[in-house]
Amino acid sequence: MSQPVFPRSDARTAADDGDALSFCSTCAFSEACLSQGMDKRELGDLHVLVEHVGPLHAGDHVFRKGDPFEAIAAVRAGTVKTYVVDSEGREHVLGFYLPGEVIGLDAIDGEHYPCNAIALDTVALCRFSFPRMAELAARVPGLQQQLFRLLSRDIGAAMRLAGDWSADQRMAAFLLGLSRRLAARGFSPRRFQLTMARTDIGNYLRLAPETVSRVLKRFQDDGLLVVDRREVELADVARLEALAAPILPS
Amino acid sequence: MADSNAPRDHSAMLANPLFDADLLHRYDRPGPRYTSYPTAPQFTFDFDESALRKVVRESNDDPIPRSLSIYVHVPFCASPCFYCGCNRIITRDRSLAEAYVARLVREIAMTAEMFDRDRDVVQLHFGGGTPNFLSATQLRDVVTTLRHHFHFADRRDSDVSIELDPRCLSPSDVADLATIGFSRASLGVQDFDPAVQAAVNRIQTVEETLAIIEACRRYGLRSVNVDLIYGLPKQTPEGFAKTLDTVITTRPDRLAVYSYAHLPQLFKPQRRIDAADLPAPHVKLALLQLAIERLTAAGYVYIGMDHFALPDDDLALAQARGGLHRNFMGYTTHADSDLVGVGVSAISHIGASFSQNPRDLPTWQAAIDDGRLPVFRGMRLDDDDSLRADLIGQLMCQGEIPVSALERRYAIEFDDYFRDAMTRLQPLFDDNLVRRDDGRILATSRGRLLLRNIAMCFDRYLDRPGIPVKFSRAV
Repeated sequence: MSQPVFPRSDARTAADDGDALSFCSTCAFSEACLSQGMDKRELGDLHVLVEHVGPLHAGDHVFRKGDPFEAIAAVRAGTVKTYVVDSEGREHVLGFYLPGEVIGLDAIDGEHYPCNAIALDTVALCRFSFPRMAELAARVPGLQQQLFRLLSRDIGAAMRLAGDWSADQRMAAFLLGLSRRLAARGFSPRRFQLTMARTDIGNYLRLAPETVSRVLKRFQDDGLLVVDRREVELADVARLEALAAPILPS
Repeated sequence: MADSNAPRDHSAMLANPLFDADLLHRYDRPGPRYTSYPTAPQFTFDFDESALRKVVRESNDDPIPRSLSIYVHVPFCASPCFYCGCNRIITRDRSLAEAYVARLVREIAMTAEMFDRDRDVVQLHFGGGTPNFLSATQLRDVVTTLRHHFHFADRRDSDVSIELDPRCLSPSDVADLATIGFSRASLGVQDFDPAVQAAVNRIQTVEETLAIIEACRRYGLRSVNVDLIYGLPKQTPEGFAKTLDTVITTRPDRLAVYSYAHLPQLFKPQRRIDAADLPAPHVKLALLQLAIERLTAAGYVYIGMDHFALPDDDLALAQARGGLHRNFMGYTTHADSDLVGVGVSAISHIGASFSQNPRDLPTWQAAIDDGRLPVFRGMRLDDDDSLRADLIGQLMCQGEIPVSALERRYAIEFDDYFRDAMTRLQPLFDDNLVRRDDGRILATSRGRLLLRNIAMCFDRYLDRPGIPVKFSRAV
């Protein structure tokens, strides 16, 4: 049987297979902790941990800008969007977070969340209380490394879009980026659902919504992909990679 | 997904329908016509205006939002045809049309506001009732309003069509319709036999009908459809054969030959039909056989579900390349568009939802006068509904259930998921109405006239006891 199509999950992609004692198989931190001989019970003893939250439904906020920063959270299922609203009331989408990815990292130098996080579909989370996590990271080198890795990945994603790229390049990089991230979690890299609205995609890529659709239609006409409602199938990964190469090295 | 979109030669597989009176008689049982799945009786009243606004917003937010098809319902008729099961209002008061158009204009403006401007309209259809109860000027007003508020695709294949009653239309009216932009017309004929016409209260001469068909051609309408009905009171094979021959000489691009469903408890006008005048079941089947034989002999292709088309008509071509679709307006070549219905009783199909306007004029009027979208019932399809809708749509359009494609698209194991349905389908396998072949379940030539019996096996709602649903019979 083929890999599951995001956001449908099955045993291979489920990030909620943990319990009071075992980490979820997709946990961003399990490896770092276990390699230091710390299991979940010990983390619990250190009051770091680890609370399963959800399900949240589309439109529910995970946190809002200005809320006191208490925890970072790993997405176990669904998609979370982060965004800010500027002084003129315009929304700016900062990022989309898929299963296995961690939200709230941009808050760790402050006392408040600097952005909003909202569920785009049915979302389940794993919550790590933060000051405690930082203390733990000081004792568990692998964990600190993992946190830095996640942080720099976050910053990298934001930086990449700042360049002077064409609409086609942005879209190709966006789709390939999703594909690679989903593949890493056991989902099909070729077929997945765009759980975000086209207005969100456009906002994130700094393209008008109509441009999002126009580019996708052109990609479809050129045989790069097939779009059926919200589902995308990457039909010609090599050509998409060539398009995206300046933004997203393979 | 990719391979299901690839062109395939369906014409090679689609068997001509085989007429077997005994078989058809055995399978003649009530069932839905599946212009939608789930069918309208499943709609519920908790689907309201805010639910509709929400599904439209979501549909705007698809990566590539669907194009739009618009349906305009005109409920008025000047006189009652006794066979009719449509939603209509019998009146000779033309001032009703004026007031109706004024409210349609407001409903169109309110509705259009919800849709993003880059959503092209690829199909516009006026149905009824009798759309030409409205004057050409009134029809022009409605079309102009639509063109003002929606963005019409400037595509060669975009369809602007209207159902016409030739009895209250002159050839010069057809010239006006052509200048408004109508490119397809559908004419009600039913039967030219005077005895039948008297029994159904629809007196319509051959001459006036042919004059309108002729005018449609003269003024450049791209396509003419003719509706016939079999099973009407006083109908005989001899009389119906004459009607068929007369119609065939005019070479309509498409023909629909509907089965008359006598449900007087459901449709009031039908109470004026004397059940004793109805043809016996074997005569009704003979009428159907006659239609199939004459039309196929004349070169028409059977599309499915009562519909025939010339082999070079868009419908037949679309079916041959696997690109045929079906919605409330019947078969269409336009890939899954969202359907926007305006007017009394009109049904919309947006994203994974159905919604319907009030079926009575006062409620519809009151909503519009209040500035509300006049939705009164509907439903959101769940994943199972969407899967079954896809399956039934493919069956109705292509005469087959694409088992492997559905398994991939919906991540199911077909025989496991549809175990109950397959049990119900077994007798149809035994009767050789369907056969399994290479990842598909195909309707055989024996099964092509019984598509809805095949579809009923997959209808989850027919299983549910306690919901009394009345449907017409299969043939």
